[in-house]
Order: sequence, then structure tokens, then C-alpha cells
Amino acid sequence: MEKKQKDMKPKTGLARCLEIASDRQPMVILSAVLSSLAAVASFIPYLAIYGVIKEILSVYPKLDLLDTHRIMLMAWTALGGILLNIVMYFLAILFSHLAAFGTIYELKTAFAKHLTQIPLGYHMNIGSGKLRKIMEDNIDSIEGFIAHQFPDFTASVTAPIVMVVILLAINIKLGLISLAGIVLAFVAEFIGYGSKDMKHNMEQYQNALESMNNASVEFVRGMPVIKAFGRERSSFAKLKKAIADYTDWVLKFSLGWQNCMPAFTAIINNIYLLLIPVGLIIMRSDSGKGFLMDFIFYLLFTPAAAGVMNKIMYVSESFMQVNGSVERMDEVMNIRELSDTRKDIKLSSCDIEFRNVSFSYDEDQQKVLDNVSFKIKEGSLTAVVGRSGSGKSTIANLISRFYDTDSGQVLIGGHDIKDIGVSSLMEQVSFVYQDIFLFRMSIADNISLGKKDASREQIIEAAKLAHCHEFIKDLPDGYDTVIGSSGIHLSGGERQRISIARAILKDAPIVVLDEATAFSDPENEYLIKQSFRSLMKGKTVIMIAHRLGSIKDADNILVMNNGVVAEQGTHDELIGKGGRYKTMWESYEESMQWKVGGAAV
Amino acid sequence: MKRLKDALLLSEQGYKDLKKAIGACTLTNLSMMLPFCVTVMIFRELLEGITEGSTDTSAIWKLWIFGIVSAVAVFLCAKNDYRKTYIASYKESNKTRERLAEHLCGMPMSFFNTRDLTEITSNMMSDCSAMESMLSSTIPPLIADIISSAVMCVMLAFFDIRLALCVFITIPLAFIIIIASKSKQKKLFRSQNDIKLEASARIQEYLEGVKIIKACGVSGKRHEALDRTLRALKDMSVKTELAIGVFISGASMILQSGIGITIFAGCALLLSGKVELLTLLMFLLMATRIYGPILAVLGQLSTLMHLDVVTDRMRSLMIADEMGGTEKTDGGNIEVIDARFGYNDEEVIHGVSFKVEKESVTALVGPSGSGKSTMSKLIARFWDVNGGCIRFGGKDIKNISPSSLMEHMSFVFQDVTLFNDTIFNNIKMGRESASDEEVYAAAKAAFCDEFVSKLPHGYETVIGENGGTLSGGERQRISIARALLKDAEIIILDEATASLDPENELFVQQAIARLVENKTVIMIAHRLRTVADADNIIVFDGGRIAEQGTHRQLMEKGGIYRRMYELQMNAS
Repeated sequence: MEKKQKDMKPKTGLARCLEIASDRQPMVILSAVLSSLAAVASFIPYLAIYGVIKEILSVYPKLDLLDTHRIMLMAWTALGGILLNIVMYFLAILFSHLAAFGTIYELKTAFAKHLTQIPLGYHMNIGSGKLRKIMEDNIDSIEGFIAHQFPDFTASVTAPIVMVVILLAINIKLGLISLAGIVLAFVAEFIGYGSKDMKHNMEQYQNALESMNNASVEFVRGMPVIKAFGRERSSFAKLKKAIADYTDWVLKFSLGWQNCMPAFTAIINNIYLLLIPVGLIIMRSDSGKGFLMDFIFYLLFTPAAAGVMNKIMYVSESFMQVNGSVERMDEVMNIRELSDTRKDIKLSSCDIEFRNVSFSYDEDQQKVLDNVSFKIKEGSLTAVVGRSGSGKSTIANLISRFYDTDSGQVLIGGHDIKDIGVSSLMEQVSFVYQDIFLFRMSIADNISLGKKDASREQIIEAAKLAHCHEFIKDLPDGYDTVIGSSGIHLSGGERQRISIARAILKDAPIVVLDEATAFSDPENEYLIKQSFRSLMKGKTVIMIAHRLGSIKDADNILVMNNGVVAEQGTHDELIGKGGRYKTMWESYEESMQWKVGGAAV
Repeated sequence: MKRLKDALLLSEQGYKDLKKAIGACTLTNLSMMLPFCVTVMIFRELLEGITEGSTDTSAIWKLWIFGIVSAVAVFLCAKNDYRKTYIASYKESNKTRERLAEHLCGMPMSFFNTRDLTEITSNMMSDCSAMESMLSSTIPPLIADIISSAVMCVMLAFFDIRLALCVFITIPLAFIIIIASKSKQKKLFRSQNDIKLEASARIQEYLEGVKIIKACGVSGKRHEALDRTLRALKDMSVKTELAIGVFISGASMILQSGIGITIFAGCALLLSGKVELLTLLMFLLMATRIYGPILAVLGQLSTLMHLDVVTDRMRSLMIADEMGGTEKTDGGNIEVIDARFGYNDEEVIHGVSFKVEKESVTALVGPSGSGKSTMSKLIARFWDVNGGCIRFGGKDIKNISPSSLMEHMSFVFQDVTLFNDTIFNNIKMGRESASDEEVYAAAKAAFCDEFVSKLPHGYETVIGENGGTLSGGERQRISIARALLKDAEIIILDEATASLDPENELFVQQAIARLVENKTVIMIAHRLRTVADADNIIVFDGGRIAEQGTHRQLMEKGGIYRRMYELQMNAS
């Protein structure tokens, strides 16, 4: 499905929605057909009643001549029509829901997958609130479209057609007049749709809704700080403004219809007013019973048109909304994924090389890496140091292919990493990031995330090496303890060690360590250090180091400054050189001596 | 009606507006009867024409003019109800959102630490949206339909009780089906809602953990936890829709069979001369129209039940306790007396007592999970203690109003929350009344100048969602600037454990040094050397105080502190 979306020209509106559901086309079509048939069946009771009235009037006022057998038949026909209508509509809805829920399930997973394949920077730019909204609300509204609006739409197209046929078949003059009335009603309504204001208001309304969502996320998330500084009032005011803006726009948007909708309602319910003058004029020349019966039929039938047309109105209104939702989804879906050759390349060596790499997170922003070149020998430990913003974390992000370079190459074992299939690359490289994230799954599952087929023994082995086993086995359910369940509190150090166990289990030849910046208590610190040692043993390691103390023994230290490698060498070499590194080292030593309440700085 | 108010958590005004909206909708429904009446009257003229041989066209023209007038009336009524319902509902949901937000402000700090933030926000946003659409497009027309159907019942019964029975006999039957299925539906909705929340949390988790997911190659369907919940949501949704569909279809079938019954019985009555043709025609006409609104009522009864679930969640949020305490405090010493506390049933602080003198530096140290962070949060009244008490300037903090207490305390915690606003405003958070000069001075004192000057718009630079564009050290300095601006007498410092690059580290340290000058400092320390000069070091272990004293005293004692200290010295 994803493939298709990329190759085709972007479609909009109905076409795009149907394209989304294309994997479940038979069901969607079946539901549309059934729904249309149900709409046709819904006219049967009217025709039956018309039949009854016709029978009666044809003998009126001599009622004893009435053919009761035919009357009974009409009554049964009416009931049969009702039954048909409901059964078919039920089936239509059944199929459409199966298609709809299936489709949004596929969409959500496709969307989720897509998110992992676009450069990670988009996550920061778009914000998780908006992404979540797309994944929940926007995609869910497509459910409504496929499950309800589309079958309703086909029905509401079929029904008027059938209605027009009936209207014209019985008496063409009266039929045309009724049609004119219906057209008039729609003209009244569509005056609203066409206007530029309406579109503008719709957009503003969607934007205001989104701002309100973001504001409330921030409000809740920031509440601890807000309370700490006693800023409830101003923060509340901000949210309040977002809410008020939303209310303003949603009202403006809704009230845009305050004349059109009622006009539609009024006209569609009063079409008989058009029929009467015409009917009376015709009657002057044709006072036969036949015409009178037709006339009565139209008086009876045109109010039914209101119901049919109301549905169209409702459908077209929600069309506009689902269209907006799909656009929002596609905005993200259309972000180009990082290329993936899917080639399974077995690396003959684990040498890593950055060759003239330049990179910036945003086109118009300054370069984070500027023509950076360096080499890392297989089996060596390379540390990358520098101020925050110097580009050191970017190096890790490029090796993980969270981003692609703007120019230059990142090579592993002589292969450009763009040529290596993503999953193949991920198999060769383990990552330990500073923002440790554990999922609400069992600890065992968290550890084996990188190696699904690991046995329990292997998991425990890795946990032991990462010094997790001790605390895990003391948890109520041991390795099956679910992270985040009540009463389970893991310290930062413990969480960190679980993430190290994850990498140990994965056992990839290359390890990228974005050193956890957080200090734990001494005990934990010590254990983490030990775990790192197990993880790094025999591997090619790149360590993004935040604490200079931990890299003294590195084979090579890259000192980053403003996107370039300022200097490199071993600790002793760099100290001897007396450059940036030496300054950093001195600051480091000084900061280690710092005391609160002691001699001031 | 009163129950409706409670079920929807309406305000007085909202309730009044809702009643008005319902009235307006009913009026519209009744106005729709005008065309119907005119039609029937025209029928009569036409039928008389058949019996008498000639039609009275002038009478019909008169009716026509009346019809035009009534069409205008329909338009005016419809416009009136449209405006009333929409304005009322959006105004009301505006109020509900504000009320929820206001209520959240009053919740204890701990509420935000223990609750799933996703759920809180979802409560605020989507539940309100659901209520909004309930109030605008569901409830008023629904109740209006009920009222106007009842009015029509009575009117029709007045014309002919037998035929009226035929038309209406199926209504109670249909309702019985729906009501009988209510508990089943409610259950389904509840489980569907639970799964929805679960899916929501999973999606959040997925978005937050996207790096790991990518690195471990478990994206999309391969991320089992997400896939499982999304699947479950799919299945549950189909199941719910189906069950509801069966009930609704069954009920509407029974309901509409009234058309058949009316034809059968009506014709029989007509033949036996017990009913006039015009009356029968009127009923037949009625039978084709009356079921529409009632079907709408039936169809939306289930939605109405859904509303219960929606407001259930909001209600449970609304009744969550706000923090008590009204007294003001003037500050002073802090005294912790036999404090006991547990997050749930599990006690984590077991009878802790200590004193913090004004303008002294107290360090809380100990292994992670020893209770030192919890203790500092108890002093700030994130939670209330379960046993014992904490006194601030001699007063039990339980009796001090949270906002008065907060005025005396500043926090520098490791997780800095920044707002999607300018740096200037983020710092100004610290004290609303601060002048621009004071904000810049605080920023400067916290060494923010150093990095802010490099930003494109300086202090007016807007930082993204939670300050994503700033480094940890920069964010900390902003939070220290906030605290400097606030200038509270007590500083609770959770030593930023995150190590920064050495220069940043020095900046932060110097900023902190300025912040704590002449203050009462309670510091949770991870690097023991940092607090070696503290006036009192309290060593926590397993929720109790293992030992306390100055660095020298503790080193001499040779207990847990000394062991930790030595371990740390060796490590670095």
C-alpha cells in the first residue's frame, strides 16, 4: 500500500479516500451496492401507499367496490420493502465497517512504519502531539468515511436518481416542478459551500483546534513548573485564549451555514407549494381523476425527498472534514522516506569512515557538520567529545541513519551506508542512547527487542552482563514484570542497564554509545561502567562522551567544535598539544571540585 | 431533565441554554407540521372536489398563501434553532474545557507525576469534543423529536384513536428492544473505550520511543505491543458496531412495520365505514413521516449511552481532590517529624525526622530508591505525608495554602520543562511582575547570555516543544534564571545529574552558586563531593535516615556515607 502511495500522483478528496481503502475494494463496493439497493427499497412503502390511495380513489366514494385483495398485497409490499431496506442496509454497514476498521488498522501501522523511515528531524519539527492527533483522530475520521459516509454517499446518490425516475415516470409535468424545487433547495445550500470565506473559516477552525490541542498538552505537561512558580493564572490564560480562539472559529465556521441550512430545510419541506399553482392550472384543462391521483401522489411523495436530500447534505458536510483529515495525514505520508536498498550486505570489516560529510538539520540552518572526515579502525574505541551543539551527537545519528548526509559519505567496511539495507545495517550496529526508553512490555521483551528470537537463557545472560539480573530477579514477576505497572519503580541507572542489556544481547560488531549523561548513585555508576565494559568488549565502538573522565583510555578522541574535527588523538597526545581538549579537560577537573555552599566559584 | 444536566456536567447557564436549544428544536419540528396540515387541508378540498364534481380552487389558493407564510415560519424556526444549538453548545464546551483546566490547576503536584498525562489530556480534549457534538447536533434534536413525536401522538389520537394505535403501537416495542440491550451496549462501549485509551497510550509510547524502535527494526506491524492493541481496537470496534447494528436494525424494522399495520387496519376500518377517507389518508401520510424522527432517536440512543462513559471519565477527574490548606506562611525553619509516606499501599518513607535551619545547606544523599527525592518532594508538598508532619515556620504545611507555600520555594530539578514560547517568557515564568530589566539580569546571572546571544532572535527566540532545540545545560540555565528571578527563600535542588560538557557544567555550577547564596538549600546530591561542605548531610537508605552529620563527622563514623564516597572517588 505504501508503495502505491508514493508512485502515484497525490489525489485528493473522495478519490484519495477510496485509494486508501483500495486493499478492501470488494467489500467497499459490495457495501456501496447493498446500500444503494437499500435506498431503492426505501421507496417501496411510498409506492405501496400510493397504490393503496390509488385503489381507494379509483372507486371513491363507492368503497364497497374496493379490491381488498389488492389492498392486502400493497400492505405486504410495504412491509416487504421495509424489510428489504433494513436487511440490505445492515449488510451494507457490516461490510463497510469490516473494510473501514481493517483499513484504518493498516493505515495506522503503515503510518507508524513510515514515521520510522523518515528522517528523525521531522519528529522534532512536527511534534509528537500533532503526530498523535493524525494517528488517532485524523485516521479515525477515515473510518467514519468508509464505514458510514461512503455507503451513505452511494445511497444518497442512488436514492435521488431513483426518486427522479419515479417523479418523472408518474407525471412528467409535476415531476419537473418537484425537481425544480429540489434544485432550488440545493442552490440555497451550496451558496454556502462555494464561498471563499467558508473555506477560510474551515481552515482556521482546523488550525485553532490544533493549537488548542497543543496548548492543552503543554498545559498539562508543564503543570509541575506552572505550579512551582505560581503561574497558574497566566498559563491558564494562555490555554483559555486557545480555547476561546477555537470557540470563535468553530462558531464562525458553523454559523456560516446559519442561513443556508435553514433555507434548505424550509424549501425541501415545502416543495408542494410549487406543485399547487401548477396543479391547479393543469386541473383547469384536465379535471380527470387520473390527474388528481397523480397530484396527490406528489403531495405525498415530495416530503420524502427531504429525507433523501438531508442525507446528501450531511454527507457532503463530512466530506469536507474527512478531506482535511486525509490532507493532514498525507502531509506526513508524503515526506520522503530515507532510501532503503534492502540489500543484505555482510560486512567484511567494521572500519568506519566519514568522508567529507556535511549535514544540517534544516536547509536554512547552519551546518552541524561541515566537511568532516575521520576514520575508525575495527576493534578500536573512538570517543567523540565537544560542547553540546558541536555536532557530536549528529555523528551518532548519521551512523544510525536517522538522517542522511547532505554531502559526503559515511562508510562502514567500505560500503556507503546508504547502500546497505536498513535492517542489515541495524543488525551490524547496536545503539545505546542517552534518552533511555523502555516500553510498557515485560523486561524480557524489552531486552530482546533487538533480537526477537533470543531464548530466555540468552536474555538472562545479557542481563547478568549488564548487571541487571540482580534487581530483575527481585521484582515481583522477575523477567516478566511489565515496565510501568503499578508499584514498579526502576531507577535511572537500572533503566540504563536494561538498555545496555538490550545492546549486549543484540551482539552487533559495531556499538554506538551516546553516553548516558545522567549520573546515578555511586553504586549504579559503578555497575553501569562494568556493563559498558561487557558491551564494548571486542567491538568497534564510537562513544559520544559527555564525561571526559570516562574516555581517558580511548584509542582515539575526536574533539568536535562548530561542526568540524578540531583535533584528534589519544588523551595524552591531546593534553600534550595544549589545544581545545586541554581547556576542556581543565574545566572538567575544576567542575569536579565544585561544592555547594563551599568556597564560591 | 435534571439528570441530563448532571450526566453532561453542564453549568447552570449551559443547562439553561440547552433547554432553550431543545425548545427551539421542538419549535422547528412543530413548524414542520404546518406544511403537513396545509397538505391535508388541500387533500380535503380535492376529495370534496371528487364527491361534488367540482373543486373550489379559491379555497386552495388561500391555503397556498397560508403555505407560503408557513414556509417562511419554518425557515425562521430552523435558523433560530440552528443558532441556538450551535452557540449554546460551543459556549458550553468552552466553559467545560476551562473548568477542567482550572480544576487541574488545583490538583496536587503528585497528580501529574502519577497520572498518565495522555489520559488527562485526552480527557480534556476529545471528551469535550464528543460532548460538544452531543450538545450541538445530537441532544437537542433528539429530545425535540421525542417531544414533538409525543405531541403528534396526542394530536393523532384526537383524530382517531384506533388508527393512532396502529401507527404508534410499534414504538414501545422498538424502545423495549433498545433499552433491553442498553447494558450490553454500555459494556461494549466501555471496553471499546478502554482499548482506545490503551491504543492512545501505545501510540504515544511508539512516538516517544521511535529511535529504539528504528534501531531494533521493530517498526510498524513488527512492533508487537502497538500492533496488538491496534488489532484489538479493530476487532472490538467491529464487534461493537455489529452488536449495535443488530439492535438498531431489529428495532427499526419493528418500528416501521407500523406502516403495514396502518394500511391493513386502516383499510379494514375504511371498508366497514368506521373511518373517513380523509382521516385514513392523513394517517397514511403520517405513517410515512413520523418514523423518521423516531428512528433518529433510536439510532442515537446508543450514542447517548456512550456519552455516559465519556462524562464518567471527566467526572472522575473533576472529583479528584484538590489540595487543601488556607493559611499563609512567612517562612522559617523546616522541621520534618516522623514523616511517613507511600505512593500506593507501599510505604517508602518510614518515619523520618530532621530539621533544616534557615539559610543552611542540607544535603540529601543515598542510593537511588532510598527516598531522598521523595523526601524533598514531600517538603514541597507534592504529596501530603500519610503520617507524622512537616512544619514550615512552625506551621503544619498541610494547613498552608499550596500557592503560599510555593511562593517560598524554588526548584531546580533535572527534568526542565520549557514552554513553546520565547526564551524571555520562559524565564519570566519565575516572576510575573518582574520588569524586563530584572528578567535580563536574572538571565545574565544564570549565564544564559552566553548562548542566547548566538540565537537568531536572542531572547525573543521561540523554543520548540519542550525546548528541543536547546542543550541540556542551556535548558538548566534557563530554569536557574527562573529560580533566580523568583528569589524564594528555600531552594530545593535536585542536583542536575545529567552531565554536561565541561564548560556548560561550569556555567551551571556558577549559576547555582549565585542562586543558593543566603538561601535555605535542600539539595539532593549525587556526587558526594559536591556537598562535602554542607551544614548537614542526611544519608537515606531504604526510606530511613541511616546517618546524618557533616562530611567530617560522617567520614569518621565510617558508615554507608564513607563507603559511597570512596567508591565515587575511585571511579573518577
